[in-house]
Amino acid sequence: MAKAGGGITNAVNVGIAVQADWENREFISHISLNVRRLFEFLVQFESTTKSKLASLNEKLDLLERRLEMLEVQVSTATANPSLFAT
Amino acid sequence: MSAAATMHMPREGSNYDEISMQQSMLFSNNLQDLKNLRTQLYSAAEYFELSYTNDGDTQSVVETLKDYAIKALVNTVDHLGSVTYKVNEFVDEKVDQVTETELRVACIEQRLRMCQEYMDHEGRSQQSLVINTPKFHKRYILPSGEIKMGGNLGKLKSVESSFGEEAEWNQFRDAVRTTIRETPPPLLRKPVLPSPPQRKTQRSATFSFSSISNMAPKKEQDKRAVSPHRFPLLRSGSVAIRPTSVSRPTTPSKSRTITPKRYPSEPRRSASVRAAFEKEAQKEPEQQQQQQQQPSKSKRLLKALLSRRKTKKDETLYTYLDEY
Repeated sequence: MAKAGGGITNAVNVGIAVQADWENREFISHISLNVRRLFEFLVQFESTTKSKLASLNEKLDLLERRLEMLEVQVSTATANPSLFAT
Repeated sequence: MSAAATMHMPREGSNYDEISMQQSMLFSNNLQDLKNLRTQLYSAAEYFELSYTNDGDTQSVVETLKDYAIKALVNTVDHLGSVTYKVNEFVDEKVDQVTETELRVACIEQRLRMCQEYMDHEGRSQQSLVINTPKFHKRYILPSGEIKMGGNLGKLKSVESSFGEEAEWNQFRDAVRTTIRETPPPLLRKPVLPSPPQRKTQRSATFSFSSISNMAPKKEQDKRAVSPHRFPLLRSGSVAIRPTSVSRPTTPSKSRTITPKRYPSEPRRSASVRAAFEKEAQKEPEQQQQQQQQPSKSKRLLKALLSRRKTKKDETLYTYLDEY
């Protein structure tokens, strides 16, 4: 009888340990899933930020060229005031 | 954690610079916390590993590790969310600024383009005013010999009114007549019109001045239109008629010898006219015979030729020739 009672308790302990192990695994899976989601968010944020910065850089380059052209035109006009003489 | 302390910083700022400074400090603190989070997580992992191996109560260590992992994950998500929000806001703000600057530059370019177009238009209008459009007017011959363009009608009227007296008018008429007779017609009219219209213009000029001098233009024109000999040269009508009328001899044997003598004004004409005249004279003996049947007219012509003055050779000769 004692052996049978000890076996049952061992089985219960093993069952509890297995349950705790599955709970730990579930927790780890949740943590890993959230870390992956966080990683995916970071990757997506990096791509969107890079594209935004690239477009911004392109706009700034274009704007810089246009401003340089305007600066040259204004400097040419100021260098030749006879062009504005009516 | 230090991030929680940074979140509770007093947000005071009266103006925009202080607010932006605080926001930039918060952003830099968040970035620094994210950098420190990695080392904190590594140190926490080492601590829980040692405590799990050394301590006998593993269950409590695992539960503490779970709580720390959850809090660390949430804190990391909060930091990353804050940092990404700040970065997005910063990039959007810069994009808006660039768009606004592009709009301003486009406005400046449009203004500059408008100024350029206005300058081009003004310059074009100025240049178009400089260009003289060609105007063709009639030519009026004045007694002094100068040629006056007919564009100025006031001057012409004043010139016409100055010829009120009859003596001046006669002088003007004679001057015009001599001008028309003495000036070679091809030089004046060659570049303007071809030969058939030249004949018309000369006839019209002759008509206008001969009508003043009581000549018979209708008769002349009718006779020239009736005559079968039509040459494309100037004054060819009268030349064509002349052989029939002028070359009428008193005797038939002298007809060819007299013919060159009867044209004292011929050296002013071209040799081709003379050659054509001689050809016509040679080819048409029958017409000459018919012309011999009019002795009275030839006598009148001879009298006129003998009695003419040297200075008025052309007028009398052409008058009689035109009558025939």
